Amino acid sequence: MSAVHDVSGRNSPPGAPPPGRARAVQVFEESRRQKREIVTPEGVPITVEVADYGERLTAFVIDFAIWTLLTFAVYLPIFALIGATHASLIAIAIALFLGFLVRNLYFIYFELAWQGATPGKRVIGLRVIDRRGGPLTASAVIARNLTREIEMFIPLGILLQSGRSSGGAIDWSELSLGVWLLFFAALPVINRDRMRGGDLIAGTMVIALPRRALSSDLVERTVAFAFTPQQLQVYGAFELQVLEELLRRPLNAATPQVLDEVCDKICRKIGWSEPVPRGDVLTFLRDFYTAERAYLEREQLFGKIKADKYAQPAGSA
Amino acid sequence: MSDIALATDQARIAARMAAPDAAKHELVLKSSEFRKGREAGWRELERLVRQIERRGVRSLSLDDLQQLPILYRAALSSLSVARSIALDRNLLLYLENLALRAYFAVYATRANPIDGLRDFFVRDLPAAVRAARWHILIAAAALLVGVAAGFILTAYDEAWFSSLMPSELAGGRGPASTAADLRAKELFAPWPGAAAAFGIFANVLFSHNTLVGLMCFGLGLAAGVPTLMLTVYQGLSLGAFIALHFNRGLTVDCLGWVSIHGTTELGAVILLAAGGLVIADKILFPGRYARLENLALHGRQAAQMAVGAILMLFVAGILEGGFRQLVQSTPARFAIGLGMAALWLVYFSCCGRRARP
Repeated sequence: MSAVHDVSGRNSPPGAPPPGRARAVQVFEESRRQKREIVTPEGVPITVEVADYGERLTAFVIDFAIWTLLTFAVYLPIFALIGATHASLIAIAIALFLGFLVRNLYFIYFELAWQGATPGKRVIGLRVIDRRGGPLTASAVIARNLTREIEMFIPLGILLQSGRSSGGAIDWSELSLGVWLLFFAALPVINRDRMRGGDLIAGTMVIALPRRALSSDLVERTVAFAFTPQQLQVYGAFELQVLEELLRRPLNAATPQVLDEVCDKICRKIGWSEPVPRGDVLTFLRDFYTAERAYLEREQLFGKIKADKYAQPAGSA
Repeated sequence: MSDIALATDQARIAARMAAPDAAKHELVLKSSEFRKGREAGWRELERLVRQIERRGVRSLSLDDLQQLPILYRAALSSLSVARSIALDRNLLLYLENLALRAYFAVYATRANPIDGLRDFFVRDLPAAVRAARWHILIAAAALLVGVAAGFILTAYDEAWFSSLMPSELAGGRGPASTAADLRAKELFAPWPGAAAAFGIFANVLFSHNTLVGLMCFGLGLAAGVPTLMLTVYQGLSLGAFIALHFNRGLTVDCLGWVSIHGTTELGAVILLAAGGLVIADKILFPGRYARLENLALHGRQAAQMAVGAILMLFVAGILEGGFRQLVQSTPARFAIGLGMAALWLVYFSCCGRRARP
């Protein structure tokens, strides 16, 4: 019913220099996250953004801080009870064991109760989802979290306990544990979906889920400047959306100058002969945006999609 | 429903075109009219989704709950239409984001954590173990071969003991130990006290055997041969250990001492090795999928087995730390050990066979 596809470069038209991810990232200040597509049961594809390594690390550090504090809160009374008379090895063993219990209950509880988000993930805006678009099952959550023990914490615990006993010689089991830890730490970097071992095995994926706001419609107005179809067919959808981005940007000291430059550039490009009064630059640009969008959307309805200024309209060839 | 909405759009556009006072330059955009007609529904859905994200689906009123799927489907259809008629980037991104968040709100799992955990331990875990019965048999056979070999070698020549048993596990035992030594310091040593017992318990999770078990599991990635070799190796040291006691006439007591926690711990070792073999199986015989894809598809089974093994190691730790030296009679130790083995067998082979309610 649902599936994930790779959508990088989905919109690039054949035969023309594509808008390209690099350019889009630069102009729209878009995130550099990888994109995947999930298909809802209703059959509509929706793009999701795969969470970055750094974001996941930050979320993990927040969670780590929380459950370490929790573990200490549980550990201190026990430590006070048994007293400091016993060997430190036992104290370490008890701490390791409590840590095991607390962190697993913590991760599993929150990922089940908060629909795939621990407090750390929630702060950063991340979420665990099923890789094929289905619901996130309890067994997937348990599998992905207990695999973390095997990937990381049990090997770390063994290293911590045996660390003091070995002398100068190379201990092969410690070396292999180190390689094991490095491999699993590097795993999210070397696969495209940024999956760690637990995600791979449980069939899950961690995505970033930012909230986007709907701004007002830029075309809601009566226009003062009129443009001919010849002038409007110079640009394509990409340039239109760059202009949209520019008009939506919050105003600052540098804005008038940028608007002037863009206005001059557009006038030159479309052959607009009359000079635009300095006070009317914003009006001119908004009118041009409205006319251009009306023109391009009408063309699109007839199947003539123009991705950017380099593209030949599909219908004209 | 969307037909009616589209018809409304058409009517609205026609009305504005026909309006007598329409300015000469007024432009009417289909995408803009489309947005005007539906924006209220999107805002309402956004409000519901934000409330679910903040306070959970239970906080919605009955009316809101009824509205949610309707608004969700309307937003999906808006997204599809907007993709074909609108070039407003902000609008497209917003709708896609709204549809995704609503999709998670509508299709999220409703099970609460307790139900989820129960379902996992009652159904999924035993089912995963049952599905791997052949792998478990192979792993158990490898362990038995190791035990037999270790036993025979050490029974004939005790010099083998030190090479088969890692020195940190031997704990001072060796060819030099006498029967009286083994009895007093090991088999029937007094209970060390609660704190030390807890230390032993927690230690099991981070012990040598766990390490080797995990390596068995992980090395399944290397086509399973190292997994089998390591399993045999673990059997070797156990065989050597038994042989040392056999030569001093302590076989029965030794088996009782080992079995109280050993049936559970060895079960965990076998389960980890079998999980490694499942991984190897999926990589060696991928069927119709690519090897890694097949592993990802079936990997959950192997992970569930490892989870079961961790559970068993827990129980083994409790038995070893808490009960082994507390229960000082060999028949009672056998009873506990074999009872645990029977419990695991029944749990893994019978639990959760009934269909889901």
